[in-house]
Amino acid sequence: MSPVRRAAALALLALAGCSDRGTAPADTLRLALINDPILNPVLAPDVGSVLVNKVIFPGLVRPDEQLRPEPDLATTWSISPDGKVYTFALRRGVRWHDGVPFTARDVQFTFERILDPKSGSMLWSDFAAIERVEAPDSFTVRFVLSAPFASFLTLLGYNAGIIPEHAFAGKPILDNTDFNRGKPIGTGPFRVVAAVPGSSLTLAANPDYYGPKPRLARIVFKLVPDANAQVAALRAGELDLVTLEPASLPGVLGTPGLTIRQATVPQHYYLALNQRLPLFKPPLVRRALDLAVNRRAIVEGILKGAADLPVGTIPIAMGEWFADSLPRAATDTAEAGRLLAQAGWRRSANGTIRNSKGEPFRFTIRVDKGNPSREQTALALQQDFKAIGLDVSIETVEFAALVRDDLQPGRYDAILIWWTTPPDPDQYSYYASGQINNNVAYANGTADSLLLAGRRETDPAHRRAIYHAFQALERQDPPVLVLYYPREIQAMTRRLSGLPRLGIRDALRHSETFSLGPR
Amino acid sequence: MSGAGFLARRLAQGLIVLWIVTSATFALMHLAPGGPSILADPKLSPVERRAIEERLGLDRPLPEQYLAWHRNLLRGDLGRSYMYETPAGRTVVERVPNTLLLAGLALALSLALAVPLGVRAGRRPGGPADRVLDLASLAALSLPTFWFGIVLIILFAALWHLLPAGGMTTPGLEDSLRDRLRHLVLPVAVLALPITAELLRYVRSGVAAAGRAPHVPAARAKGLTEGQITRRHVLRNALLPLVTVIGLQAPILVGGAAITETVFSWPGMGRLGVEAALGRDYPVVMAITVTVAAAVILVNLLLDLLYRWIDPRVGIE
Repeated sequence: MSPVRRAAALALLALAGCSDRGTAPADTLRLALINDPILNPVLAPDVGSVLVNKVIFPGLVRPDEQLRPEPDLATTWSISPDGKVYTFALRRGVRWHDGVPFTARDVQFTFERILDPKSGSMLWSDFAAIERVEAPDSFTVRFVLSAPFASFLTLLGYNAGIIPEHAFAGKPILDNTDFNRGKPIGTGPFRVVAAVPGSSLTLAANPDYYGPKPRLARIVFKLVPDANAQVAALRAGELDLVTLEPASLPGVLGTPGLTIRQATVPQHYYLALNQRLPLFKPPLVRRALDLAVNRRAIVEGILKGAADLPVGTIPIAMGEWFADSLPRAATDTAEAGRLLAQAGWRRSANGTIRNSKGEPFRFTIRVDKGNPSREQTALALQQDFKAIGLDVSIETVEFAALVRDDLQPGRYDAILIWWTTPPDPDQYSYYASGQINNNVAYANGTADSLLLAGRRETDPAHRRAIYHAFQALERQDPPVLVLYYPREIQAMTRRLSGLPRLGIRDALRHSETFSLGPR
Repeated sequence: MSGAGFLARRLAQGLIVLWIVTSATFALMHLAPGGPSILADPKLSPVERRAIEERLGLDRPLPEQYLAWHRNLLRGDLGRSYMYETPAGRTVVERVPNTLLLAGLALALSLALAVPLGVRAGRRPGGPADRVLDLASLAALSLPTFWFGIVLIILFAALWHLLPAGGMTTPGLEDSLRDRLRHLVLPVAVLALPITAELLRYVRSGVAAAGRAPHVPAARAKGLTEGQITRRHVLRNALLPLVTVIGLQAPILVGGAAITETVFSWPGMGRLGVEAALGRDYPVVMAITVTVAAAVILVNLLLDLLYRWIDPRVGIE
């Protein structure tokens, strides 16, 4: 061996010399992000940023383990009898990460920014019902709403982390790049101590945190853009928790030292049927299509069981709001055929169905490009619809184009897509006639009045009855074909404990209770 | 033609090339379906959408956006990233050293391997060494970077725990040289593999061609050893085209780095480019285009100067 080669071989041996597991202290939790987050809850445009901001920036309330609002920066609150005035008593003695005391002025400042779309706010539509925010004294905040809005508390605990007025000194929040990119100031259990663009974000326990003392010393968010690389890093012991696509599940099952857990999340995946088209206007037709779908095959075969069968558009993660007493959507192709016949579609000799003019039942399903689960689901739907005589084709389109050019302008037949909602059943903006997120142009007068009543009703028992009635109505006149409620698959080291049984997004606001056992 | 005149003319040409490249990128980016990911949230209300479009200047007609971008470029302002809310120029420049480190080491390793191996293969075309290396380089060129990278991570990090799975450093160990070197091994190897194969094939054919030149038998007749012949009479002639090939590899290196950087979570410019292109972060895509195009133009200019220096016959018109 030449001296050069010997030196090279020795160098390699030295580098690979010891095992790589011992590189992080045992009390550091390592999580993955796919790109650099924006460390400002008012501006955060993506899920990754939301995750990090949950740890840094508490809001007035936070979701508990049943996703109900519990006190956070506010200790108590009262709601006026007309449901339009919310008054919060704030926690005293809270300090920002830089030591400045937290006051009602910070809450007022945060909501003034949220309500100004020009500020770069991504939370405007959540809080459009706010007419004004008042701070009568340093520890009282009052919100005056333009109309009763029952999901207001839930939304306060969803993405609305409070930001410090003093850090922005009268300048637009978008312009404070230092704060937004690396030196944020929150009141949460962990504060940012290092931000390396493209690499990692390191948070250390906040000794002045107002809640229970954090049990972890540090949380490191590592940037790992590729999903396969995330799984490999988890198996290599370089990440402690990763959320998986169903397709990655087999590669992780049975790995020593890892546990896998599934959490229900407030999402519903559905096939949007464009009711601007005469084809999908009759409820009978939508019910027939709904009955044709073999959801069990999709959930078991494509999603590896990591999803729940649906009732309606209010998912099972919403707890008491979900109508568990109603039957889950089932497959009945014979009934589907009967309903189609009632709607004027009859089977022809070659097995396809046609209307009285002899036209075939033909439409295109669009699905976003690149996600194997969704592309396979579209194929399964095509087969299910073919079985009842429909002629269905599939087009894959880039997600941004799908949303901007098809879904929002309403130029499509059918789209396979999903909603991620706050953990509140208020779906007025999604399924009431003419509302901004009602992209399917669903119009049902009874649904409109139920959804409006539910949005205004602050008594939980009455509200539950309203939403259960809405879900029963959805079985008769489905606004969309709800396919399944996905579960978030969390693969994590066995050493990790203290995680509430929630999706990672909501669990992270409880990061002070997370702990890691010895290696 | 004088050296200064040559330089001035080449710089002017470079600016024109830069303008063509940025204009083409601008056009392609806006012709592609979809749009900025910040606007792809199905939940955005029309009010928010309008506010975002206004803030980012996306509500203006395209020719106006195009002119505004060039006007700002002349002032040294590359705009703000849509995804990161940072100055686009600074965001790209932050990543440049990381890509240079990765690509530079990969290129150095490739040269260190390709030259001796290419000489060995080219000295006896059709011989056993040539045949083995031909097959090996073909295999190396055919391996998809994405797949090969993941396989190496699974083997070296997940199964054997010998090397880190990705990243540039272990958070908290930023000052450790050993830690940095350990993080470099796998991505450099993956990036260097196809480049080595490519360069090897050039060296091999250069050496084989130079070996057939009439002065080689003459040198042999003079009584020089094979080693002396290779070093003095074959390699020198064979290496000249290699300089050109390295110039051509520069943009390929950045492209290959994009995939390697993504698989190995390397905080480089290539990965930033992939993210920006997928999210239609126009200012960042344009900033990267300017940076890469300017670098390629400069590298080629330097190589031309190097050529004139190596072989004075070159460049005299």
